[in-house]
Amino acid sequence: MENKEKLLDHDYDGIKELDNPLPGWWLATFYGAIVFAAIYFFYYHIGNGPGPKEELAKGLAEFETMSAVGGSGKGIDVDKLNAFFHDSGRIKDGGAVFQLRCASCHGVNAEGNIGPNLTDKFWIHGDGSLAAIAKVVTEGVGDKGMPPWGAILKPDELYSVVAYVKTLKGSNPANGKAPQGNEVKD
Amino acid sequence: MTSEVKDIDIVQYDDDIVKKFAIATLIWGFVGMLVGIIVAIQLANWRFNFGLPWITFGRLRPLHTNAAIFAFAGNAIFAGIYHSSQRLLKTRLFSDALSNIHFWGWQLIIVSAALTLPFGFTVGKEYAELELPIKIAIAVIWVVFGVNFFGTIAKRREQHLYVAIWFYIATVITVAVLHIVNSVNIPVSILKSYPVYAGLQDGLVQWWYGHNAVAFFLTTPFLGLMYYYIPKAANRPVYSYRLSIVHFWSLVFIYIWAGPHHLLNTALPNWAQTLGMIFSLMLWAPSWGGMINGLLTLRGCWDKVRTDPILKFLAAAVTFYGMSTFEGPLLSIKSVNSLAHYTDWIIAHVHGGTLGWNGFMISGMLYYLVPRLWNTKLYSVKMANFHFWTGTLGIAIYMLSMWTAGITQGLMWRAVDASGHLVYPDFVETVMRIVPLYYVRAVGGTLYLVGYVVMMFNLFKTMANAPATQRSETVRAKPLTASFGEVAAEGGHRSIEGLPAIFTTLVVIAVLVASIISIVPTLMSPAYSDGMPAIRPYSALEIAGRDIYVREGCYLCHSQQIRTLPFDVLRYGPASTPEESMYDHPFQWGSKRIGPDLARVGKKYPDVWHYRHMMDPRTVTPNSIMPTYGWLEKSALDFDIIPKKLGVMKIVGVPYSDYQIQNGAVDAHHEAEQLAARLVEQGAPKGLEDKEIIALIAYLQALGQMSNKPAATTN
Ligand code: HEC
Ligand code: HEC
Repeated sequence: MENKEKLLDHDYDGIKELDNPLPGWWLATFYGAIVFAAIYFFYYHIGNGPGPKEELAKGLAEFETMSAVGGSGKGIDVDKLNAFFHDSGRIKDGGAVFQLRCASCHGVNAEGNIGPNLTDKFWIHGDGSLAAIAKVVTEGVGDKGMPPWGAILKPDELYSVVAYVKTLKGSNPANGKAPQGNEVKD
Repeated sequence: MTSEVKDIDIVQYDDDIVKKFAIATLIWGFVGMLVGIIVAIQLANWRFNFGLPWITFGRLRPLHTNAAIFAFAGNAIFAGIYHSSQRLLKTRLFSDALSNIHFWGWQLIIVSAALTLPFGFTVGKEYAELELPIKIAIAVIWVVFGVNFFGTIAKRREQHLYVAIWFYIATVITVAVLHIVNSVNIPVSILKSYPVYAGLQDGLVQWWYGHNAVAFFLTTPFLGLMYYYIPKAANRPVYSYRLSIVHFWSLVFIYIWAGPHHLLNTALPNWAQTLGMIFSLMLWAPSWGGMINGLLTLRGCWDKVRTDPILKFLAAAVTFYGMSTFEGPLLSIKSVNSLAHYTDWIIAHVHGGTLGWNGFMISGMLYYLVPRLWNTKLYSVKMANFHFWTGTLGIAIYMLSMWTAGITQGLMWRAVDASGHLVYPDFVETVMRIVPLYYVRAVGGTLYLVGYVVMMFNLFKTMANAPATQRSETVRAKPLTASFGEVAAEGGHRSIEGLPAIFTTLVVIAVLVASIISIVPTLMSPAYSDGMPAIRPYSALEIAGRDIYVREGCYLCHSQQIRTLPFDVLRYGPASTPEESMYDHPFQWGSKRIGPDLARVGKKYPDVWHYRHMMDPRTVTPNSIMPTYGWLEKSALDFDIIPKKLGVMKIVGVPYSDYQIQNGAVDAHHEAEQLAARLVEQGAPKGLEDKEIIALIAYLQALGQMSNKPAATTN
């Protein structure tokens, strides 16, 4: 096949060059990419293709609807909390969530470490009721470094861990951190 | 050297300089790759950071990348360019003195890089980490190289420039422009400086540089080498001269625009992102033009490729080039990038290019050069074949493991369950999943290095077998006689090939036009368009902490850029805005998330959490792979230099008052005492108020907290 190809009269240190045409399929990919580039640019920047902000808003709105449908919702379901509090299986699950998510700050036995002791009668936020614990766990404490768990934990995990925390009162672990907040009398 | 016999000159090439660069290549390649394996193992197992500052991941990774690119590939390029240019231009190099200054200067730069990077002297911008004095030395030596190269062209005995030389011209010109523009820094002290650009502008300039360093340091010179060594080794004509012309010019023009594909879905203006994406797509064909010309030149001698190690390496290298230049445009598509960016997929992509294309081109070239330069036979063909197969296997293992790791982790980051929650809210869970693959990658890299060491042995043995008296090759060539008019009259591309000044000018125009259109608007625009944004500059202590963050190379594991992607926002908070990094000299957006994004980590945790985490990340995050930073608790913070730092920050545009600058040290002490007192209250030891850890915590707690405007979720 090479015999038919034209050899140019170039010679660089013995290197010769053939005068083959540009491969057709190669040119097609080149032109194809250029045409695509032009269309893309026109659609998104001169036409009315959606910009990144619109696309982001759309994606976030989708998550919102999902979480509404999925049932975590915004409000806290106190009846469900109560039910979990009386379900030993749920309490056990809650203990597991606590070890995984909370122990690094509150201590393995909730005795307090980076975060406060959760076993005493003293509360910085609320009165130690299920609803109050659920609120602080869901929303977190922005500036103080208690993360908002509402967006991270699944609803069942959140309810279990809150129920678990509630069971800890008076467990009196070793090395308990000094009380913080206000004493809540029974 | 050159004696006249009638109208024929006897030309003796300078092969000694080529030998020197070849030996330097062999040695530095080993060093660069060895450091690569160390950092790979550190990611697999954090204990291999040994708790020692100078070998911790964040300090060694820049050493690996700089050594691989500038020491290994750099010396190889110089060897190949000096060897082939003399032969293609039929002349000895312009100046022996310049050649030697070039060689020794470059080695000195490499040594000074090795002596500064591990000790934390860094600008904090990838592949441009070296501090100002070394940057200046690079510019000077590059100019020496340029003068030597263009001087050689000027005294050539071959009227027309062969395509390899075109690629070398593009290399010499563009690397100089890139390096100088990206190095405009103001010094604080001899080994500390701040870039004049801030935030997204710094990001844009950096990735215009970074991407085109790949283009003009790791691609165009190697294409030039390919155009010389493939036809020489195969003894076949180049497939298509017309293809050479078209793909050369399209490559040089289009490459420059593609930098913003490193910043897709970020706070960079969308039009700039789009340019980055579409030009990357258009780059596919020009890149493949090179691959086609390389591979089709080998038509009709595939039997030789099977037996000759040189051709084997060269053919495989070109194939890897084809793979990488297909993958690159693919990764530049915004939606693909949303999955791949910040993951190990990018690492796989890079190593396909560097180990496959650059590493194998260099190996093929060295197997060609060493026996010829030392006038002897290759010591062992068997060993060369062994090198080829271990190298190929090493690359395959490397790439497969990193593709898998990248895609796995990318999918985990974006996984959302039916209730709109992240399936893997704990970042460390996504890390644990891929840690086994980090071990596999280390095995792949080690195999590649084993092959490389066998090549070193083989080639040093070859050199040892060389005859005692060595002479550089001598040829006869006629001096040039054609006049400007005659060359110009040839018409078309042929005439500019004969007129290097015009050819070079056209390259300069192509590169500058593309650069100016793609980066200048963003540099000029008041990018922070909603008037005076409500962002405060860093406090005196936070600036000191930021410099520690840069020094420790935290940016190599952590991004500070939450993308405009729903799952990024769900995980890290509202998308980053341009304002938020407007006082960041250098920007710290990062390119890899080995750990989570830190753009909004401020106030996420109590101060003492950071203290414990920095001392040993595993006390608060079991299974973390982050190194320990115990020395930050012991080393004293340099308060005295803070006013100087604030002063330089003011020069580059951060609105500090003279009062703030003068009182920088006092303010910082004051802040540090308050923070240290808070830490003690929370249970940290006493006496941290004058230690580096304090400044770092202050900086971390400020991240994402600089804006006075309430952050809207949809930005
Ligand atoms: C990063 C550390 C950290 C983690 C992890 C953490 N917390 Fe906290 N938590 C804190 C801090 C700090 C406070 C105190 C906030 C304040 O001072 O207002 C706190 C406060 C609380 C309180 C309120 C205590 C009071 O006295 O009012 C509860 C309840 C609580 N956390 C539960 C949890 C649960 C349940 C988890 C796991 C799902 C968890 N925390 C995980 C740091 C943490
Ligand atoms: C080898 C990669 C690596 C390096 C280098 C590194 N980190 Fe990390 N970092 C991680 C990983 C992985 C995590 C996630 C697990 C954890 O919390 O430790 C992390 C987590 C963090 C977090 C917690 C983020 C969050 O939202 O939970 C902070 C803060 C942090 N790193 C700061 C730093 C600083 C400061 C440096 C430099 C001194 C640094 N890191 C260097 C890998 C790294």
